Amino acid sequence: MSKFRLPKLTFWRTVVTVIFIAGAYAAYARFFMGFQRSTNLVDSQPWGLWVGLGTLCGVGISAGGFAIAAAVYLLGFERYRPVVRAAVLLSFLGYLSVCTGMMYELGLPWRIWHPIFMWNRRSVLFEVSWCVMLYTTVLALEFSPSLVEKIPFVRLRQFYLKWHHHLLIGLVLVGAVLSSLHQSFLGGLYLLAKGKVDPLWYSPYLPTLFYLSAVPAGLSATIMVVYLCNRSLNARVDPRVLAEMSQIIAPMLYIYALLRGIDVATHGAAPYLFVWREETLLFWFEVSLFVIAPVLLLSRAKVRNNPNALYGTCAMVVMGFMANRLNVSITAFQTSSGFYYVPKWTEFALTLATVTAAGVAFYYAVKYLEILPRSVPAKNWMTLHPANA
Amino acid sequence: MARTKAILIDITKCIGCHSCEAACKQLHGFPQDPEPRLSPTAFTIVETHDDRFVRRMCMNCQDPACASACLVGALKKTELGPVTYDSSKCIGCRYCLVACPFNVPRYQWSKLAPLVTKCDMCFARQAQGQPPACVEACPVQASIVGWRDEILEEAQKRILFDSKYVKHIYGSDEVGGTSVFFISDVPFEKLGFTTLQAQPMPVLTANALGDIPTVVMVGGGLLAGLYWITNRRKLVALAEAEEAAAASGKGKDRHHV
Repeated sequence: MSKFRLPKLTFWRTVVTVIFIAGAYAAYARFFMGFQRSTNLVDSQPWGLWVGLGTLCGVGISAGGFAIAAAVYLLGFERYRPVVRAAVLLSFLGYLSVCTGMMYELGLPWRIWHPIFMWNRRSVLFEVSWCVMLYTTVLALEFSPSLVEKIPFVRLRQFYLKWHHHLLIGLVLVGAVLSSLHQSFLGGLYLLAKGKVDPLWYSPYLPTLFYLSAVPAGLSATIMVVYLCNRSLNARVDPRVLAEMSQIIAPMLYIYALLRGIDVATHGAAPYLFVWREETLLFWFEVSLFVIAPVLLLSRAKVRNNPNALYGTCAMVVMGFMANRLNVSITAFQTSSGFYYVPKWTEFALTLATVTAAGVAFYYAVKYLEILPRSVPAKNWMTLHPANA
Repeated sequence: MARTKAILIDITKCIGCHSCEAACKQLHGFPQDPEPRLSPTAFTIVETHDDRFVRRMCMNCQDPACASACLVGALKKTELGPVTYDSSKCIGCRYCLVACPFNVPRYQWSKLAPLVTKCDMCFARQAQGQPPACVEACPVQASIVGWRDEILEEAQKRILFDSKYVKHIYGSDEVGGTSVFFISDVPFEKLGFTTLQAQPMPVLTANALGDIPTVVMVGGGLLAGLYWITNRRKLVALAEAEEAAAASGKGKDRHHV
């Protein structure tokens, strides 16, 4: 037992190590050389990849947790219960990476606590910061039983789980409301940038559009993650559950497409729809990837019932969603700022390292905790004695 | 609102001597090198558009987008008119840069503890009854300062009695009015001024923020109601199963196993 063995050098371990090394250097550049040396941000493009990819995509893709939790605990969709823990964990790690992202995204991260005491109720960002703080706490509590049930002390474990059970419905309800608020307010942030945001993306309905796009993206990400766990981590979730979940995504995308269409038609964006320019091309890229292709694919039972095809379609939804958030936060500002922002490699490295860390955490959680039903039970790694299990 | 201060910049009078820039830099202790654009060490600059000189500075809006954006309230519209920045509150989120319709705030990208920088109309000086340094330095009174209503009246008088002026005071109603006005004999669009709506920027987000109580009440209420139905169904199903079990003569507490 005391023999120390070097970890095996596998492909993924190598990739993860390279990403972490790059991320560590990027973090060093950010904190010891400043924004100028570690990013390509300028005054006319003050929010770049860290906000667009780290925060906007991170929060949006983490929308699966509240949606599945609400479906199972509040709406009684018992058949999704096998995936509820995975969905909550995915969201929790997503929010943790967003909070981590704040540490290098903010200019003065050591003042991150300021919004708790210094209030400005007129600021959308203030509401977002409070919602994210509270919701991350809610997610931690929703996730906590997965850890607590591994505590070897029976009384303590039972005491916690009993109280948790009483509070759970309230937590899920509060979580759903908080999520709805800040998912939409992330879009609301851009309302104030009227005149700077390209007409293809500016809309008074930005909050609603952000909300309606986050939920299908979050569900798609959950399906993808569960599929991967089925494939590589001995998870045994009935693929029919995933197929059924995907049936909700298409109608959601319909509603989104309808509102987006009406919005584009009525808010002066129509003349820009068929102009030969980068923004318009990226707009169509986004729309076809996020809405058109997935709607066509998901309407076919063949696609929904084939786990591989379903995984690919969900990947499209997630990538299309990311294209939307990056378009809103970067592409849409290109013309008005007169600056062609391309993130520096250190920006990519830091975000990638953060997301990878979340991925690694997810991997070990699924391996060592009861996150998903499995063919091989998890190791009782914290249990002192089999009698306590 | 109490009386607020305002600056009038008459583009027809400016001779492009850059004295305002120099005075501003001196007051803030910045290096004197001339800069082409606003920067963390240039709170005002004079741009050249053909043969016209246009001074740029923070417009110190009546209802500033930056102040509504700032989540910690570091940016504030003071009673006196200037929009001030409390650097001790700032967390460096840069939402003010995104929000400002005039693209005024600048960020100290090269520093390790970067702050937002912008002109505050020499709030400290004005609070003591002194004019802003730039206005004081102007040798031809192209910039003048005074109470906003009086300054506005003066601007109106000038564009009314002299036909060379464009019949618009830039800043009188842009984004709900500003504390810096421009009058010119060349159309403003040709001098790099952005055309803006009369609606104050914060109105754009106020509507969305106003929906919070509705979302909380309706959304929360709806979900709570749906949970009640779900729970009720469960209880009914349980009771029915119990009855059925009792009717079929089997053990009463069978379902508890």
